[in-house]
Amino acid sequence: MKYLKSIFVLLSIFNFISCSKDSIKPAVDYSDVLSNSTNQVIINTYKDLNDKSKLLLIAIDQLKSNTSTGNLELARLAWRNSRIPWEQSEGFLFGPVDQQGIDPSIDSWPVNVVDLDAVMASPDVLNKTYVDALEGTLKGFHTIEYLLFGENGNKQLAEFNTRQFEYLSACTQSLNGSTQQLFDAWRTEGQNFGKNLIEAGKVSSIYPSQKSALQELVDGMITIADEVANGKINDPFVQSDILKEESRFSANSKADFADNIRSIKNIYLGSLDGSGSIAGFYTLLHQSKVSLHQKIVNQIEAAIAAIESIPGTFTTAITLNRPAIQFSQDQVRALQLTLESELKPFIDTF
Amino acid sequence: MMRIFYAVAIGLLCFFSCADEDPINLEKVLAGGSTSVFAEFSNAFQFPAANLSPIELQNHRRGDVAFESSFVTAPSQINAGLGPIFNQNSCVSCHGKNGRSPFPDSENDLLGLLFRVSIPGINIHGGPKPVPGFGGQLQTKAVFGKKSEVSVKMNFIEIPGSFSDGEAYSLRKPIFNFDNAYIPLPGDVMISPRIAPPVFGLGLLEAISVEDILKHADPIDLDKDGISGKPNYCWDELSQSLQLGRFGWKAGQPNLLQQTAAAYLDDIGVTSPLFFEESSKHQIQYDGGMDDPEINNELLSLTTFYTQSLAVPVARNQDDPEVLSGSKIFDKIACGKCHVRNFKTGTHREFAFLSNQHILAFTDLLLHDMGDSLSDHRPEFEAQGNEWRTPPLWGIGLTKIVNGHSNFLHDGRARNFQEAILWHGGEANQSVLNYKNLSKKERTALLKFLNSL
Repeated sequence: MKYLKSIFVLLSIFNFISCSKDSIKPAVDYSDVLSNSTNQVIINTYKDLNDKSKLLLIAIDQLKSNTSTGNLELARLAWRNSRIPWEQSEGFLFGPVDQQGIDPSIDSWPVNVVDLDAVMASPDVLNKTYVDALEGTLKGFHTIEYLLFGENGNKQLAEFNTRQFEYLSACTQSLNGSTQQLFDAWRTEGQNFGKNLIEAGKVSSIYPSQKSALQELVDGMITIADEVANGKINDPFVQSDILKEESRFSANSKADFADNIRSIKNIYLGSLDGSGSIAGFYTLLHQSKVSLHQKIVNQIEAAIAAIESIPGTFTTAITLNRPAIQFSQDQVRALQLTLESELKPFIDTF
Repeated sequence: MMRIFYAVAIGLLCFFSCADEDPINLEKVLAGGSTSVFAEFSNAFQFPAANLSPIELQNHRRGDVAFESSFVTAPSQINAGLGPIFNQNSCVSCHGKNGRSPFPDSENDLLGLLFRVSIPGINIHGGPKPVPGFGGQLQTKAVFGKKSEVSVKMNFIEIPGSFSDGEAYSLRKPIFNFDNAYIPLPGDVMISPRIAPPVFGLGLLEAISVEDILKHADPIDLDKDGISGKPNYCWDELSQSLQLGRFGWKAGQPNLLQQTAAAYLDDIGVTSPLFFEESSKHQIQYDGGMDDPEINNELLSLTTFYTQSLAVPVARNQDDPEVLSGSKIFDKIACGKCHVRNFKTGTHREFAFLSNQHILAFTDLLLHDMGDSLSDHRPEFEAQGNEWRTPPLWGIGLTKIVNGHSNFLHDGRARNFQEAILWHGGEANQSVLNYKNLSKKERTALLKFLNSL
């Protein structure tokens, strides 16, 4: 989903081939930014995802063993909480999440409702091993969401049955397995994919230069801005089709979108708490690009604020508050444009 | 407005050069002509061609959505039509980030590996004869309540060898076995493993004129250079005639529309107006066909257009002395006899952005004898078991960044470039012998050249 990307990538060819001999530039070491992005943002986000996914399992097992409205709401809250780090990881959807095929097990959409109903009606034993072997559209966040919240988001306690609780638990155990796999794939003590960014330019890395690793990061930011503006918001909005809304069952779409923009913010600032790290990506802009830095920060905040200010749920706003959706889409597109037309070309000159 | 922007950008490319440096030879860099993009990161195969019009860009984006869509079991309010038997539930499940599937590390998830099957003889169009009860492809997954056609078991044999300088190597040969068949497979079944290839730049390959491809053909080696180059002629559903094959590991598909429709049908179990009968028809697992076709012409066209309009990443480091040396060795040991560097596309009947482009695809789109070691012993139209279509090499050096692996050849058996070279046989025997006689330094330079593409 690269709306405007081709123009800027073409321009980057210009940067790439026009002065290809790096010897005319002083060597600059960007390993502090790459290391900070990897260790402070990416790995910590995946750690948070893994931790929250475990808390979700605890909440679901609590609901399973003690079925009550209170425990149902706690399980739903735990689902929303685990969704936050996942959405905040979508600004860096490269590496193991894609290459090891983990994404479909975590975030497949839509839910295969026909097969899910058939699984429920079957005599099959429902456990993690069983769910692990199923297609992504029968597990992961959206299947858990569908079972917890129901088709219309108002599922009542009386509508749950034992099989659903068993499946919810098995499904969340499977989700735990995927989030653990993802965390392990990145961290130093695991498969250490992170070293590819940190050691970019060395033979130990898949990235031939620090520049290409920085381009990976900036392209990840552009990709999620594009996805939010021109996919996640655009498709249900322009087609006025709520079936195309991804987190409709839980009415969590606005939070999803805002957290996607926060994934950009986290990479850009180099921390998860909104404060700028001394080795954040933004430090690459140095003093010569202060106005661009401020523009990006402002546009990130404006996009988040616009999304969160959409009245009601995203589902209802598609019908009732279209100008607010349009405004938020415009804000995200403005951010995307800046990242594509100003930040990326700047990195391409490195 | 965008068109103007592109024109300016291209103009800059044409006229700019650094005053104190040698100008870069654009013809050696822009592998996809004006469609090319520079990207040396994991989304390198995911960009739209750089010269699309705004409307084409919009259609490309819609095709992108279709390419990424996961299908589910019918009836469903959205993306209905999966199966009942299938290999994967979306295009991207096999072509991750539009790239090459790795060789699977688990029998439980075959990723982009599938198996074409047939029995001796030909069908009414001269193509492979379907296996009764299985059709032309083994579907290794099924929707709930149905049974996959088979389960796959993998074993490996390591085959040792050495270069002239004494350095040893080992080649991995996969052995596939099949069990849990939903009905017994016939004893004379012929099985051909295939790995999902990258899907960028395909529109440019489609735009090369038949005449230009046939200029390289030499089926009975009249010029006695040991290299044949044989066109495959396969069945074209739309024209109801035999046409030059261009796509697939054996050039068994004549165009991208048919390639796309066939993949929807055989890989995902989704019927379209071009192939409106389920892959499971005439099988006991057939779903009755009440909802066929499951996608309409518009969606099929959009997905097809997506594969036609993906940009080709530029070649990199083409002024590096070692890369230049590797490029010369590539020619010296005759790799380029089949992996033909240059083509100029013809006039594409629908899309101007594909027309008259100078491209560096490193393929002749023709069949070549690759020897018994790579033979699948399964004919496909005019392609014999040991004959395979020369695959393009553009973008191949980005495989590790994009897809996280370096598995090559039709079934993904090669674990790196070198193993891929060493598996070549048949017409490439002399080239492989020449490669084995190279010094370590020369071999490294050739591999570096491949990595620059």
